[in-house]
Amino acid sequence: MTTRETTVKNKTGLHARPASAFVETANKFKSAIKIKNVDKGTPEVNAKSIIKLLTLSMSQGTTISISAEGEDEVEAVNTLIELVDSGFGEL
Amino acid sequence: MKYDVTVVSKGIALGKAYVYKPFVPDVTETIVDDANVEAELAIFDKALASAEVELNNLVDMVMKKDPDKAMIFEAHKAILKDDDICTDIKDSISGMKYSAEWAIMFVYNQNIEILSAVDDPLIKERVADLYDVRNRMLRCAKGLEEVTLASLKEQVVVVADDLFPSDTVVMDKEKVLGIITEKGGVTSHSAIIARGYGIPAVFGAKDPLNTIAMGQSVIVDAIEGAYILDPTAEETAEYTKKKDNFDNYYAETQKYLTKPAVTKDGVHIDIDINIGAPSDEALEPAAYTDGIGLIRSEFLYMDSGDKLPDEETQFQAYKKAIEAFGGKPVTLRTMDIGGDKQLPCLPLPKEDNPFLGKRALRLCLDRIDIFKTQLRAALRASAYGNLWIMFPMVGSIDDIRAGKAVVDEVKAELDSENIEYNKDVKIGIMVEVPSIGLMSDIAAQESDFCSIGSNDLIQYTTATDRINPEVTKYYQSYSPAVLRLIRFIVKNYNAAGKSACICGELGGDTLATAVLVGFGMRKLSMSASNIAGVKKLIANITIEEAEKLADEVCNMPTSDEVEARLKEFANAHGII
Repeated sequence: MTTRETTVKNKTGLHARPASAFVETANKFKSAIKIKNVDKGTPEVNAKSIIKLLTLSMSQGTTISISAEGEDEVEAVNTLIELVDSGFGEL
Repeated sequence: MKYDVTVVSKGIALGKAYVYKPFVPDVTETIVDDANVEAELAIFDKALASAEVELNNLVDMVMKKDPDKAMIFEAHKAILKDDDICTDIKDSISGMKYSAEWAIMFVYNQNIEILSAVDDPLIKERVADLYDVRNRMLRCAKGLEEVTLASLKEQVVVVADDLFPSDTVVMDKEKVLGIITEKGGVTSHSAIIARGYGIPAVFGAKDPLNTIAMGQSVIVDAIEGAYILDPTAEETAEYTKKKDNFDNYYAETQKYLTKPAVTKDGVHIDIDINIGAPSDEALEPAAYTDGIGLIRSEFLYMDSGDKLPDEETQFQAYKKAIEAFGGKPVTLRTMDIGGDKQLPCLPLPKEDNPFLGKRALRLCLDRIDIFKTQLRAALRASAYGNLWIMFPMVGSIDDIRAGKAVVDEVKAELDSENIEYNKDVKIGIMVEVPSIGLMSDIAAQESDFCSIGSNDLIQYTTATDRINPEVTKYYQSYSPAVLRLIRFIVKNYNAAGKSACICGELGGDTLATAVLVGFGMRKLSMSASNIAGVKKLIANITIEEAEKLADEVCNMPTSDEVEARLKEFANAHGII
């Protein structure tokens, strides 16, 4: 299993369009991918589920952790972390 | 057969009925036999595929015209493909032996519950999307075609029980020839949309969903207020002609919408709009109007549930309107609520004569807390543009002074907190009570502007309860007494070099336009749908003509005679 942490950079947080973009990217990988709101300490959820992602209520500055398990787990985690760090084109 | 109805948006339409009966899911818990599990899984897969095709088509269809609307359907696609939802549905079918429909209902409802519990308004809004996608899936599982106003195959007359904003937002307006609804009203959301797009519309049809058939031939006469089912050849010919006449007239009138209002002899008249909540749609005329003549701030109290609207909510709403209009004047009417309206956030004792009771400014002066919250929000917003504040239901000079004293108190509070506001914000009054009209020479010294609330001014001058149908004929819109009073008020404010505007029904009434201009009024405020007609009339008159007409009607003995003369004048100047 591969796990990495980062903080949400973009202003609107992981809502609406950025959330859709995140899930769309997660769906490109075969690995099972989970995401967690570290600040709130709530249980991790399926990163390929838009609804579960929205329930995490991740705004700008929230620390999140992404983990994946499967054949492409390293690439999956790195790609998603990069996407979050890029600010979804809002920076 | 011909049926009488009420016109909400003028015009004539001939076409085939499109009976809009939205899909209502009706699913109960259903457990299937082991042998049927595979079949139910197949139903789910098929529903998922059909729903995706539908959404792709919707995105393609609206992408060019309305990219924002396309984004909504893109979001729906993301929900449709939600990994957890799809897995849970399949598991419920295989594990719990749920029917496909029940599994969809069950899992979506679970997710609706989860999302509703999130303490974030932005995310709660998405619950509506989940309902939408759930219903799309349930309909697809039943193999039913979509009944939607978003993707009409041909031009139709829409027949509905009622139309909600969610229906009209996606409505394919170019394909809607006309609208017939059972419910509604002249000021309903769908009526405003219909007028905005020039779609003929009527309401008050009796059980139209069951009396009008899909594809039935229908004529909508949204001039006289009727619709005809299965018209004869003569009726079709007659109405085709009427439609052409009206369409030519309408197109010709609409050309004036975005032009400035200037009389034939070159005098510019300010045209303002009346609005409720400052939605993007309501603020759209900012580009071709001279300001907002009336914000009915009551919407804040009506939309507020059982709590009074807080300062920040009000501030944001006012600021939005002010910024949309750049430096143009934006007139905010302070709370105009009384005992005739029961609001959850503001319980008021029932009064025998609410129109003569503790309402509007009288209520505000009694509930200083509510008044001050509104004034603080308004003054803070004044820093962002050109705000004018206006008190409703002013009956005396005492009222003006009392209202202004509260404004001064709030200003002092803001000063002490170092909060910015426009120190020169104009304070004006609604003139709707005859007593202040008769004192308008002094009122003009003590206020920065006035705006005539013609509906109430007529009611109070003629002593006619405008809600009571028993006395409708006594409520005379063109009463020469009221016209004389308006003339007096305009003269006094003009003499003081202060602006006199009108924001009641008369302000947008093309029959009254020339008279008001003739009185010397240089600013009229109206709902957006009246702008083109009023501008057209102004473009067709001279000040001299208007003054002559104003004198003439003030000397007429009755309202009916005035009205007949005004119709004749308007017809002679390009208005039907």
